Amino acid sequence: MNILEKLINILKPDKACSSCPQAKFGACQKLAASLEGIKKIAVVGSPNVGKSMTFNCLTGAYANVSNYPGTTVEVFRGKTILNGEEFEIIDTPGMYSLMPISEEERVARNILLNEKPIIVLHVVDAKNLERMLPFTLQLIEAGLPVILVLNIMDEAERLGIKINIEAMQHELKVPVVATVSARGEGIDILKGKMEEYVRTKICG
Amino acid sequence: MSEQKYADDVLGSSFKKIELMLQADYGISKHSIGSLLLQGDDEIISLVKLKDPENFSKIMEAVNFAKSSYNDPLSYIIAIQNQGKANYIIERAMEYGPSKGISYREKISKVMIDPLTGIPIMLLVLYYGIYKFVGDFGAGVLVNFIENGIFIKYINPLVIKIFIKIIPWEVLRSLFTGEYGIITLGVRYAVALIFPIVTTFFIAFAVIEDSGYLPRLALLIDRLFKKIGLSGRAVIPMVLGLGCDTMATMVTRTLPTKRERLIATILLALAVPCSAQLGVILSLLEGNPKGLWVWVGVITLVFVFVGFVSSKILPGEGPSFYMEVPPLRLPKLSNVFLKTWTRVKWYFIEILPVFILVSVFIWIGQLTGIFNFLTMLLTYPIRWIGLPDKTAVAFLFGFFRRDYGAGGLYDIKKAGLFTGNQLVVACITLTLFLPCVAQFLMNIKERGWRAAVGISVFVLFFSFSVGYLVNLAFNTFGINL
Repeated sequence: MNILEKLINILKPDKACSSCPQAKFGACQKLAASLEGIKKIAVVGSPNVGKSMTFNCLTGAYANVSNYPGTTVEVFRGKTILNGEEFEIIDTPGMYSLMPISEEERVARNILLNEKPIIVLHVVDAKNLERMLPFTLQLIEAGLPVILVLNIMDEAERLGIKINIEAMQHELKVPVVATVSARGEGIDILKGKMEEYVRTKICG
Repeated sequence: MSEQKYADDVLGSSFKKIELMLQADYGISKHSIGSLLLQGDDEIISLVKLKDPENFSKIMEAVNFAKSSYNDPLSYIIAIQNQGKANYIIERAMEYGPSKGISYREKISKVMIDPLTGIPIMLLVLYYGIYKFVGDFGAGVLVNFIENGIFIKYINPLVIKIFIKIIPWEVLRSLFTGEYGIITLGVRYAVALIFPIVTTFFIAFAVIEDSGYLPRLALLIDRLFKKIGLSGRAVIPMVLGLGCDTMATMVTRTLPTKRERLIATILLALAVPCSAQLGVILSLLEGNPKGLWVWVGVITLVFVFVGFVSSKILPGEGPSFYMEVPPLRLPKLSNVFLKTWTRVKWYFIEILPVFILVSVFIWIGQLTGIFNFLTMLLTYPIRWIGLPDKTAVAFLFGFFRRDYGAGGLYDIKKAGLFTGNQLVVACITLTLFLPCVAQFLMNIKERGWRAAVGISVFVLFFSFSVGYLVNLAFNTFGINL
């Protein structure tokens, strides 16, 4: 049904995208609403950094969250609204790098390869940035639309770690957001960055 | 992305060469595909063979040339380069200040991993978390209250009265309120027996998992697990199996090698009782502490023995262990309840239809005489391991679900048909007995038809053999529990 509606929207030249609040973006969105239907956002990262928590915060759905690595072995899918448009969010099993070692990592990589996500949220543990950043670089190098999410900021701060978000953004040339997903902190900022990202990406 | 310059080394020029030859669309950049090729990723190699068949042999030539030019594996060199870039960024964007009071957590963490202090802690967790909370409170107090205080006193008589009024036919009425009726047996088992046990278990488990204890337990037991061909990583599906073996079988995906996954699946099907079964067995052996110890001993022995033997038989290299150890945290109450709630809900939706279906099957079976025929068939192995004929029904239930079978034993014990020895033998055999239907289906999904059927046949024979041996040992040594 959804796909059909979008198709009709594309075919009607004068009607702006009805679900789009910013009229001037209507035309771009129409262009982008491809025949594949709903656009996808993938949540990736190492095991036990709070991917599922972030997923839960963004979708309002419930994926099981545990304090041990490897809880998510199935792929969870939920929905979120950005700029008044519906997006599919995919919660993936944990992966350490683009080179898969275990079965779940393979599943996660295939999502990146095959599902053409419009945003890739790389969730990392802010305490262990040294170990996690190489994967961020790999994702950026792969040409994927990365937003880096520095999660578990509260524990990092307690350890005395200070991260300069601006400098990080400048070096990586991708958006960087600090969150504490267990308490829902920073999720609104993340959503804001995601909306901005979608807009600039579609309209150039 | 910014332009990167590699021109002055072999690796850099190989990257360039390969990127030029890659023509197809891979969903990620050509540089990344090249990098994965150079690192020897089999999946990507076959993908390139498929998508760029003309250039494939030339591409692989370039890959092999680059490989032969270095002493170290390319994956290592690329990782080092990548880490260097990461460190460069971190130097510019991160600062370390003084840390504020996290060291006591580190201390507790160390105490949990050190075998000297860790093993007593593990036993304490098991004793209070499982035995006291699930066994005594869930399977004892709560089951008693719901079963005797609610079902037998109020619901059963009321339901029987109502059904006598609305259904005049004895045969049809027995489908609902007979000995194996949908309400008197199916719903009663689900609500009075399984529900309180599973709920208490999931609460205990949620607290344990959210605290971050499990990975530390994994580190603690790693050495023992290595002996049976598993890494400490496998602790998590095993402990999860104490909750629900079906769920746990799915989680064996986190194990890195095929061999480990197969061994873990066998052990889950054979020697790891699920929470519902565990709870019922704890309440069966209540007041018989020696029997409980024999049960624990035999199951542990089987677990270690089968793990050890299968790791010797199944080909493949030994496991390596690495695991992220997350910080210890105080579990959040809301998350514990949310998690328990979703799990109990999931569990209930799964079991209730099965329980009702079993009642229907038995009803049909009784009408057609198949039920009696099957129970009669089962009485042979049952007698062989020295149990009263009536136990055959419980084992027949066990074909459908583990907990249902254990529930059957519960009724037989209440009727006073077991001696102490028989109860222990029955508990051991039924614990080892077949995986439930759901787990069997999961085995097929995860390990394939042949492995799943093979495992079930093995388990079926093995469980009765162990029952026989235990019974034999009791008789030979004149042990009376």
